[in-house]
Amino acid sequence: MRILIVEDDAQTREFVAQGLSQAGHQATVSPDGRDGLFQATGGEFDAIVVDRLLPGLDGLALVRALRAAGDVTPILMLTAVGGIADRVEGLENGADDYLVKPFAFSELAARLNAIVRRPVIRASDHSHLLKVGDIVLDLHRRTVERAGRRVHLQPREFALLAELLRNPRRVMTRTMLLERVWDFDFDPKTNIVETHLSRLRSKLNAGFDEDAIETIRGAGYMIRGE
Amino acid sequence: MMLLRLWRSTFGSVAIVAIAFALATVCIGVVSYVVTHEALEEQLDHRVAIESGALSADAREGGLTSVARAIRLRGDARTSSSLDYLLIGSGGQPIAGTVTPLTPIGNGYEELFRFRRGDHIGVGQSLTTQVPGGRLVVIADRRDLDEIDRTLESLVAGALAAMLALGIAAAALIGWLTRRRLARIDATAQAIIAGDLGRRVARDGSGSEFDRLAATLNRMLDRISALMDNLRQVSSDVAHDLRTPLTRLCNQLERAACEDGDTGRMLAIQAARDQADELLEIFAAILRIAEVEGLAERRALKPIDLSDLLEEMVETYGPDFEASDRRLVSDIAPGLLVRGDRRLLAQAVSNLLENALRHTPVGTTAKLSSLTRGQWTVVELEDDGPGVPADASDRIFQRFARAETSRTTPGHGLGLALVRAVAVGHGGDAVLSRWEDGFGVRMRLPTAV
Repeated sequence: MRILIVEDDAQTREFVAQGLSQAGHQATVSPDGRDGLFQATGGEFDAIVVDRLLPGLDGLALVRALRAAGDVTPILMLTAVGGIADRVEGLENGADDYLVKPFAFSELAARLNAIVRRPVIRASDHSHLLKVGDIVLDLHRRTVERAGRRVHLQPREFALLAELLRNPRRVMTRTMLLERVWDFDFDPKTNIVETHLSRLRSKLNAGFDEDAIETIRGAGYMIRGE
Repeated sequence: MMLLRLWRSTFGSVAIVAIAFALATVCIGVVSYVVTHEALEEQLDHRVAIESGALSADAREGGLTSVARAIRLRGDARTSSSLDYLLIGSGGQPIAGTVTPLTPIGNGYEELFRFRRGDHIGVGQSLTTQVPGGRLVVIADRRDLDEIDRTLESLVAGALAAMLALGIAAAALIGWLTRRRLARIDATAQAIIAGDLGRRVARDGSGSEFDRLAATLNRMLDRISALMDNLRQVSSDVAHDLRTPLTRLCNQLERAACEDGDTGRMLAIQAARDQADELLEIFAAILRIAEVEGLAERRALKPIDLSDLLEEMVETYGPDFEASDRRLVSDIAPGLLVRGDRRLLAQAVSNLLENALRHTPVGTTAKLSSLTRGQWTVVELEDDGPGVPADASDRIFQRFARAETSRTTPGHGLGLALVRAVAVGHGGDAVLSRWEDGFGVRMRLPTAV
């Protein structure tokens, strides 16, 4: 993917650019808002990473300007201010996702992957059915089957599986799952994601040899469905 | 503009009031002067008219000679307040009189009739009447009237001067007293600005407005110093509590630098990263508390289904309790509505549940209950663990407060501080409901209607 990084802090910029290059992406960097907007409107990027506070033109204004010009490139906003109101403001101004500094590179990569090529599964006739590999989840009847066999899940486990099925072949990090399944914008000390995931996994895998949910070490979880 | 500035000062306002009083005195003086003067003039006219009437009657009966005799008789018996007379023949020649006229003789009343009597040159009110064979002039000397006028004038002038002098003196005195009293407050304020934060305004106990102002200022200063103490305490707590993890981080990085093997180095780096994560977590918690404390004025809170949220929390944490050989039970009334922020309430409840997981022995049962009592909805988490010492119960909601017994378990002492901040930010509060034979925290939140 071609990714534009607009970030004024040189260390963060290089860290992100280097990581993305190592992951096989083409990273273009820009040190301030005005230059960033110029590059974003000029080049064809698959995604843009924008810092919220930038010299010249701040991140929010940059995103607003891009969206106003009809540009729909997925945007991930980075910020050192992680208040609830700031997050909402960022998303309302047109960013697709919001990541609070400091962050792990794996988190950034997973989120970039998640916002690119969205929406994912929208089978029009079966919009209430999420189907990946041999797993079928019915959002209306709230049932789950694996290879035709019924699996009984608790509500949180069901929501967790639904989120993973909505993003097949993509790494979902612990923080992303906390945000989307639990609506927690804080990090609990206990391993609630791990606990619920291991319960979900044991229920899904009962009677099967193949693990339905893949654990990506140091990054998160993924359903491959192969 | 100048007048406005003058009016603002105590001296100026008192002076202006004094001047107003002086002007009022002058007005009253002038009015009484005019009234008295007119009344006296009228009285003189009246005397002159009566006397003229009497002498005219004499003239009609006894002729001019009789009048001349009467005038002479009156002239011999005159006193200082007697009237003066003049009888003139039809040719204008004087026949008899007590004075020599200096003003041509007209007809009727004359306000300022100048005359001479011996050495005295006077001004009087005169009435000239026609009598058979001549004219009769009766004159009342204005000397007495003028004297009374002068007396009145000097009285008014004296009163004006006294009022002005008194007013200016009062203004100066009151201004000086006010300045002197304010100077005490000013001196205290200057001392506080200079850094003597413990100084307070001295009170005289009189209950006067200055005394009350001093009392109010002192209360304000007490409040400010309490807040500053709190801030100082928090800052020093933050600094103190961050020193330990930062020292550990340094040590781990040093160890990583010394490690020879790749595996050992990786492990040391991982440990350092975990340590850094913990530091970031502490910062996130501190910032969160600060954010929540400013919650009420910043955002409109929406009604949320608390029952739903709490059931979700029980389901979320149930497995962790089970996995650690503890029990989580619940007693949540259905359909509870509160006005609030769902995520913050989730975090507060999550902090309570995690405390129960972390600080209780294996086998403990925790109970999350919630119900509405009138305008308050109560959320309570209780456990049957060992509780905390009574002396710790006072400080447990403060930042970085940790019971001695929990020193060895992980955590940074910010969990309950956030719980209270969230409750207070929602317009409620959080208190300990139990600290012996178990531990319980009760949050009160305003019920949504």
